[in-house]
Amino acid sequence: MKLILRATCVLAALICAGSAGAQVWKPPTLMKKLTNGLTVVVSEDHSAPTFGLCISYGIGFRLEPEGRTGFAHLFEHMMFEGTPVAPKGVFDRVIEGGGGFNNGDTRYDFTEYIESGPISTLEPILWLEADRMKTLDFSVKNLDNQRNVVEEEVRVNVLNQPYGSFEWLDLPQKAFDKYPNSHNFYGDFKDLDAARIADVQKFYEQYYSPNNAVLAVVGDVKPDEIFALIEKYFAGVHPRPTPPHPDVSEVPQTAERRGEQTDKLARIPALAIGYRMPPRTSPDAIVGAVTGDLLLNGEASILYQALVKDKQVAVSVSGGDNWPLGNAFEYDGPTLMTSFILYPSNVTENQVVMAYDQVVAELATKGPSREQVERVAAKMRSDWYDQLEIPINRASALSHAVLIEGNFDSVYDTPDRVAKVTPEQIRDFAAKYLVAKNRTVINRVPALNENGAAPSGGAQ
Amino acid sequence: MKSLLTGICILILAASAYAQKEQPLPTDLPTYGPQNPLRAPDVKTVKLDNGLTVWLVSRPGFPKVAFSISVDGGLAADPSDRPGLSELFAKVLGQGTKTRSAKQIAEEIQSAGGDLYSFSSRDRTSVTTNVLSSKMEAALGVLADVLENSSFPDSEVAVAKKNASDELRQNEAQPSFQASRALARVMFPGNPYSVVAPTQESLALMTPAELRVEYARRFRPDHAVLVAVGDFEMAKMTALIQAKLGGWKAPSTPAVAAAPKPSGAPAHSIYFVARPNSVQSTLLFAAFGPLRGDADYEATEVANAIYGGIFSSRLVLNIREDKGYTYSPSAFVQTLKSAGLVRTQADVRNAVTGASFNEISYELNRVATTDPTDEELGKAKRFLLGIEAIQLQSSQALAGELAGLWGDGLTPDEIGNYGKKVAGVSAADADAAAQKYFPASRMTIVAVGEEKVIRDSLAPFGLPIQAAP
Repeated sequence: MKLILRATCVLAALICAGSAGAQVWKPPTLMKKLTNGLTVVVSEDHSAPTFGLCISYGIGFRLEPEGRTGFAHLFEHMMFEGTPVAPKGVFDRVIEGGGGFNNGDTRYDFTEYIESGPISTLEPILWLEADRMKTLDFSVKNLDNQRNVVEEEVRVNVLNQPYGSFEWLDLPQKAFDKYPNSHNFYGDFKDLDAARIADVQKFYEQYYSPNNAVLAVVGDVKPDEIFALIEKYFAGVHPRPTPPHPDVSEVPQTAERRGEQTDKLARIPALAIGYRMPPRTSPDAIVGAVTGDLLLNGEASILYQALVKDKQVAVSVSGGDNWPLGNAFEYDGPTLMTSFILYPSNVTENQVVMAYDQVVAELATKGPSREQVERVAAKMRSDWYDQLEIPINRASALSHAVLIEGNFDSVYDTPDRVAKVTPEQIRDFAAKYLVAKNRTVINRVPALNENGAAPSGGAQ
Repeated sequence: MKSLLTGICILILAASAYAQKEQPLPTDLPTYGPQNPLRAPDVKTVKLDNGLTVWLVSRPGFPKVAFSISVDGGLAADPSDRPGLSELFAKVLGQGTKTRSAKQIAEEIQSAGGDLYSFSSRDRTSVTTNVLSSKMEAALGVLADVLENSSFPDSEVAVAKKNASDELRQNEAQPSFQASRALARVMFPGNPYSVVAPTQESLALMTPAELRVEYARRFRPDHAVLVAVGDFEMAKMTALIQAKLGGWKAPSTPAVAAAPKPSGAPAHSIYFVARPNSVQSTLLFAAFGPLRGDADYEATEVANAIYGGIFSSRLVLNIREDKGYTYSPSAFVQTLKSAGLVRTQADVRNAVTGASFNEISYELNRVATTDPTDEELGKAKRFLLGIEAIQLQSSQALAGELAGLWGDGLTPDEIGNYGKKVAGVSAADADAAAQKYFPASRMTIVAVGEEKVIRDSLAPFGLPIQAAP
């Protein structure tokens, strides 16, 4: 979240008829591990003279220290603040001066650094990525500067925005009980203000090591040459021990959780509903992903049709499994299937929830039709390929998958696994997971309506 | 920090001593590799007998096809007593044809792997979808039906009106929307470009019949482009388009006219939008700039990149990376068909509203009055060239870019020409564009936030401050 801002394998990509005649697409991809533990993935794509690169480190906001909410993201900003040999500003000058761009993103269980540019820019960028894996310029001045920038980011995305991102910032805090899953991921200002350069140093030492990272490069490269180049620049980076992964699992929820918030900036009410999802490794996880899309993805989705079109109790419906923090598989601990619903002021929260519950109850008893599931599978295949079309996005998907799962199989076989999910599995999934005692609901209503009076609807 | 305003009022431009020094690069850093020529897409252009313009890019391999259809006529073409009609129009387009319901359309496109998006900009109305290439024929069938046979059902119009009314309320809570709406009203008084959204009053008056009139006026093959980019054989796609759209009839009625050019520059003054409970001020600086086809368009892009359009630009290094006033400063050259704008926007915490105003003014004047360094000029040019190549890797983005070029009256060659023109921009060209468009004295400023914060923070600059229309 540092800044504002697809490829065809002409010869090597495999396209063939897969299950049920679906189009299967698997561009060539190779993986290697350096002796210092850095995993490298390369996918060749000569459709344009460009590259996309993603390096993900196995640390996200879930495991940031107590008393330091928002620190993983603040730290992400510090990765752009220079090193002793390449001071602040060099990275941006080199990537932009070469015709490319860079960015960073902090998520539950990883932090990614991404670049894309003309292929002529790749070698200096690899050098710079290796350089910031060795050490950083731990500068108090730069920390103070980025603390200000991050606090402005929180203002622009949370404090000065209607709804304040409550559907992904507040909902997990109410839905979960353990600190790693239930704190303010963007950071309380008192915690951001309390961050010291020693915290930056310690976090870097603990988590920003080659053995806790996966580097993926996609684009106009020859695998042998690129592996050699990466060996040249990264082999000298020393591995460091990574702290043991704590148990972040939650005690199962036993009762529905409801919350009410008021919003000084919003003009119409909103609801966020989150169901706890199975662990990523559960066979139910793939069914959850399909169920999420069936219910929530696009105008053909069941909830859009029921709530916005038929019953007209909602203005918009969006959401999904692990939404909006990555795709339905990019997590390594508790996550939610979230629905975010804007609704008119003359409709009550209960009317929306009742209409919602009717949809879910029908899914849990009758299940979807075979045709519905086939349509959703086609849509998911199409959407999935979209995130692999251009090099920088494919590099991200490969890097995240290898970091979380140890291999990149899911990057190419998810559409086929989706296509095998049956209506009965979805029905059973809904009956097991999409139940009131497994969910958290937050209703957020405008503090005042347009006339300055208390809102007529919204509250129960 | 609290008395940050004292002293800056008079010496506005001299107050900031900030200028970046270029540090040498690390000695071991490898140099850039040889620059590969960036390949312009090979666009096949076809004109059907009914006048439909068809632009096709075949990219075998990645198994998808992106379609983008644009027609003349957007928000600026709406009847003057129905401002924002296009927004409702685009919402209901795709919600029913003579033979398909809204749900059938959504489900058929979903089966093909896509969503149907329709939207109106100021100059155009567009329909796009991005589907699996194995399903392109089915998708094109639905698209053709929407282009030729949309019915704007009364029931769908009623639902869309209610939702558009709530969405307008929701948008009005967002500072960026408030700033853009105010800016359009200030920059284009009396010109149809002054409208970016409907009002509650105009929405309430809109009828299904009015939407059908606009549909008949705008959706005609002789003033439309269909772009397809992706995994298909040229001959097959051409035949499919001929089969599905060859029967679309052009009416003999007059086509939608382009918006008139704006008359005269607005005042160098500050317009505020009061937004109680704001914790930031949203500052928007704008002045007229070049059109997309103007000779100095590329030089203006280069000047903008040096000034504030990229991360390592002067403005971002100053107000973000040095001073920490803002997370998201942005500067860009916006082109409509009949008007161009240079725009700067930053959301800054209330306490630094005046200081940020000062620094933005300083950087605008600095780019207008000082020569870029060789590094700045070279970086800006290479950035623009590289980013274009990166963005056009995406089939959807390329389809959208091509449809936009058609809308501006340009040809597909413009993609390749753009690169050549950028490469040819000299320091003198960038200077001339910066002098012409960027001086702070040319700017009209919109500020959204707490009224008292804006008034108190910006009064020292001596410009008239008034409520935005």
